[in-house]
Amino acid sequence: MPYPPVPFAPEFVPILEIVAPAGAPVPGPEDIAAMRAGASGFVQPVADVIAGRAVDAEDRVVPGPAGQPDITVTILSPAGHRDRLAAGGPAVPGLLNIHGGGMISGERGMDTARLVELVLALGVVAVNVEYRLAPEHPDPAPVEDCYAGLLFLAGAAAELGVDPERLVVMGGSAGGGLAAGVALLARDRGGPALAGQLLLCPMIDDRNETVSSHQYTGIGTWTRELNLLGWSSLLGPAAGGDDPVSPYAAPARAEDLSGLPPAFIEAGSAELFRDENVAYASRIWAAGGNAELHVWAGGIHGFDVYAPDSELAAAAIASRLAWFRRVLGL
Amino acid sequence: MNVADYEPVPPVPYDPELVPALAGFLDLVERIPLRADTIQVNREHFATIVPPLEQLLEGRRIHVEHRRVPGPAGDPEVEVTILRPEPAVPDAAGIYLIHGGGMMLGTRFFGIDEVFDLVENDGVVAVSVEYRLAPEHPDPAPVEDCYAGLVWMAGAAAELGIDPQRILVSGTSAGGGLSAGVALLARDRRGPALVGQLLNAPMIDNSNDTVSARQYDGIGAWDRNNNDTGWNALLGERRFTASVSPYAAPARASDLSGLPPAYIEVGAAEVFRSEAVDYATRIWATGGQAELHVWGGAFHGFAGFAAGTTVADAADAVRSGWIRRVLGL
Repeated sequence: MPYPPVPFAPEFVPILEIVAPAGAPVPGPEDIAAMRAGASGFVQPVADVIAGRAVDAEDRVVPGPAGQPDITVTILSPAGHRDRLAAGGPAVPGLLNIHGGGMISGERGMDTARLVELVLALGVVAVNVEYRLAPEHPDPAPVEDCYAGLLFLAGAAAELGVDPERLVVMGGSAGGGLAAGVALLARDRGGPALAGQLLLCPMIDDRNETVSSHQYTGIGTWTRELNLLGWSSLLGPAAGGDDPVSPYAAPARAEDLSGLPPAFIEAGSAELFRDENVAYASRIWAAGGNAELHVWAGGIHGFDVYAPDSELAAAAIASRLAWFRRVLGL
Repeated sequence: MNVADYEPVPPVPYDPELVPALAGFLDLVERIPLRADTIQVNREHFATIVPPLEQLLEGRRIHVEHRRVPGPAGDPEVEVTILRPEPAVPDAAGIYLIHGGGMMLGTRFFGIDEVFDLVENDGVVAVSVEYRLAPEHPDPAPVEDCYAGLVWMAGAAAELGIDPQRILVSGTSAGGGLSAGVALLARDRRGPALVGQLLNAPMIDNSNDTVSARQYDGIGAWDRNNNDTGWNALLGERRFTASVSPYAAPARASDLSGLPPAYIEVGAAEVFRSEAVDYATRIWATGGQAELHVWGGAFHGFAGFAAGTTVADAADAVRSGWIRRVLGL
């Protein structure tokens, strides 16, 4: 094998045998519907995820990009936050969350559990945005829908009890890539000020030329084959080629990474996105920007989602919380 | 990454909570700029800021022993300090400690307190090595002394009550670079098996010409000028030649496969950031295991000088978690 992979940590091997068995057929566009149905099958109703804990949830339809359909968001707040606000209580930080799924699959409900934990741990308000998916809705639909979600959060800050000076955009996998794209858009359009961008194993480079993009060919929870399918669905024939690709779709293509909000970048050492994530952090630093980088030994792509009870997930989540506390002044 | 593409290079800003700790570090540790003609006076100053071991160990249930063990072939013996739990535990994990100080400063007691909790509470046996310092003893004296101490520790495993399959080499700054060098030597000489290498803000690249080296030229803790002094002392006139040993400057190693799992930690706002990230990236490219943590806005040595800050406490927790995983604690 020309690219021996960094080994998976032993604690993830039994999980991989279930969710990503070796020798699975190479996925094609015809498999996207089944992928979506599979992802949907894991999504529980918001109330079931909250399960009586002190979090309020509200779905709302808000304006999409100019001339485009409205988008749906779920707003998760500390229980009673709106009442306390009406009684003169303080505004809290706001998160805009973007789910993953390779730009082709997934829905916002996948991230409810992660967000409920953050609302409880940090006392923040989280807005979880539903965006249109490729290939039916190629670039720029996904990232523009997400940016519209940010505009809603910033514009409704007073009503939601959110401090507009303390907004963080976040997401995992494709959601991490879209979060990075939203941060670039906010910079370039003079949009809402962001206090941070939390990029969990973000999908940011359509070129698939890094070492790690080859190391996970046919193995792992997100394979090279799936990644090629995701990018070609989002970008069409421009994916990975010499033709211009929007940096808001593929942030690794951005020529200028200065002037961005503080970044938290996390990946597993045993995943496809490792090298593009490390490179993105390195380029932010080279521009004098603020970034924190964590690459967890043996971590598979999305290890905290697939193995929430693993030692590595607990350590990674604690590190995220420490970063949130710093950038949000908590 | 090509430095020329990024000039001029503004530095990554410090975490606001770390700014007082950085000022404290500079005042305590780097009062005198470290140049070829201030090495001796810096050593004298260093000696005043490292408390005596007995004082550090007061109230701890830790057994201390100092011993002279064989040095490199034909060279003097090497002094080591052995820390053991009281009472002793069988088949203990072992940590081999290599101190920092830019290859020129410090003793085996500098930073030794980092392992006290592991010895006292987790039954780890720690050995800290006194290696010869540059420029009086240029490369290969420091790394060969360190390797000799490791060979002794592994050979004395039974006597020390150590499980020879669970020895971790660990160091900070120059000690991190020497730890990486010792891991390379152990691989290439088929020496002691290592269960891991903990490289904290490691000094590994003699070029001192990376993006981060340029960002911290004249500012911060262990700036590019101090670092130049260290590499000049260690390598002398060989420094910019092709004959630099990869055991002295592990960034020069052409093959990073077959190494023990690495833990690489560094501040985002320090000279060693770029070389540390590059070393991890090259280990991964061979299929080797490494964990990398680059702490936002953190200066060189922050972890030991900013206790109680959010970022230093987070770094301590993450490092401790990795040590426990690799040592099976």
